[in-house]
Amino acid sequence: MYDFFEAFEQLSWVQFIGGNWFLYPAISVLHYFTIFWVVGTIALVNLRVLGLAGRSQTATEWTEQLAPWTWTAMAICLVTGFLEFAPGAGEFVLSPMFVGKMAATAVGVVLAVVVHRGVRNWDRAPAIPGSAKVLAAACLVVWFGTILLGVEVANYGFF
Amino acid sequence: MGGILMAWAQWLETSPWGFPVRTSLWLYPFIQLIHFGGLSMWIGTSAAVDLRLMGVGRRRQSASQLSEQLFAWNWIGFAIMLLGGFLLFSAAATTFLVNAAFLVKLSYLVPAALVWHIIVQRKTRTWGKNEETPAPAKLAGLLELALWLSVVTAAVLIPSY
Repeated sequence: MYDFFEAFEQLSWVQFIGGNWFLYPAISVLHYFTIFWVVGTIALVNLRVLGLAGRSQTATEWTEQLAPWTWTAMAICLVTGFLEFAPGAGEFVLSPMFVGKMAATAVGVVLAVVVHRGVRNWDRAPAIPGSAKVLAAACLVVWFGTILLGVEVANYGFF
Repeated sequence: MGGILMAWAQWLETSPWGFPVRTSLWLYPFIQLIHFGGLSMWIGTSAAVDLRLMGVGRRRQSASQLSEQLFAWNWIGFAIMLLGGFLLFSAAATTFLVNAAFLVKLSYLVPAALVWHIIVQRKTRTWGKNEETPAPAKLAGLLELALWLSVVTAAVLIPSY
């Protein structure tokens, strides 16, 4: 499987991106910016569930405003992430930090979807249930975990 | 002036907070997490208002209402980001002081973006009262996004200088 990624690295468009003095840093900047955007908006929704933000609105109203930004930014984040990954694909897949970050991101996306869908039901209860708050807290931890793993990927620098 | 700054930077690197961050393999990423975590709250809250000012996205609330609700976490995020940034700086202060990208980021871009952010935040109280924001408000929101994007650009370029 490592050979597949090594071969992928050799594709001409991948090499072009990886070697371009402007394109690669620009992709990197967009990736960082959209990560902050994704984590920030997800965090705000989770903080609402925890009762620590946006209390003048229902959790549903709050989420309805922020969720579109989460998913828009996430799309850009995934594309730019893939383009950053491509030129060093072979090395990245061998890195436990990178693999960990991908796993954490997958878990984080699932938790974010569950929270976003859940707010409608949770608002119907007299108060947001404790289980919802545990879910929101877990979602926060996982997303900050992806940042932690992400900085370690950057610190060890494969490309 | 440069000499005094360098002396202060050297002192920071050996300070009770700078030295552990500098020398610990596991602590440094956690400090980066603090800086980026705070930054996430800052960008998430600031960008939401900027985009609302630009008229992009759902119009459930006016821009000024949105800004008011995000105000607390905006500045909490800033405080966390500042703390993380100061600790990161302390760990390698002497190298940062001679890094062109870092100097541009902290001397020009961050002050410009921050001042602009405060102006926009205050003006949003009047600009953002109605559902439709005036043209200057739209430009102001776009400019703020551009400024913070340039800050991130300078930061990303730090390792290359």
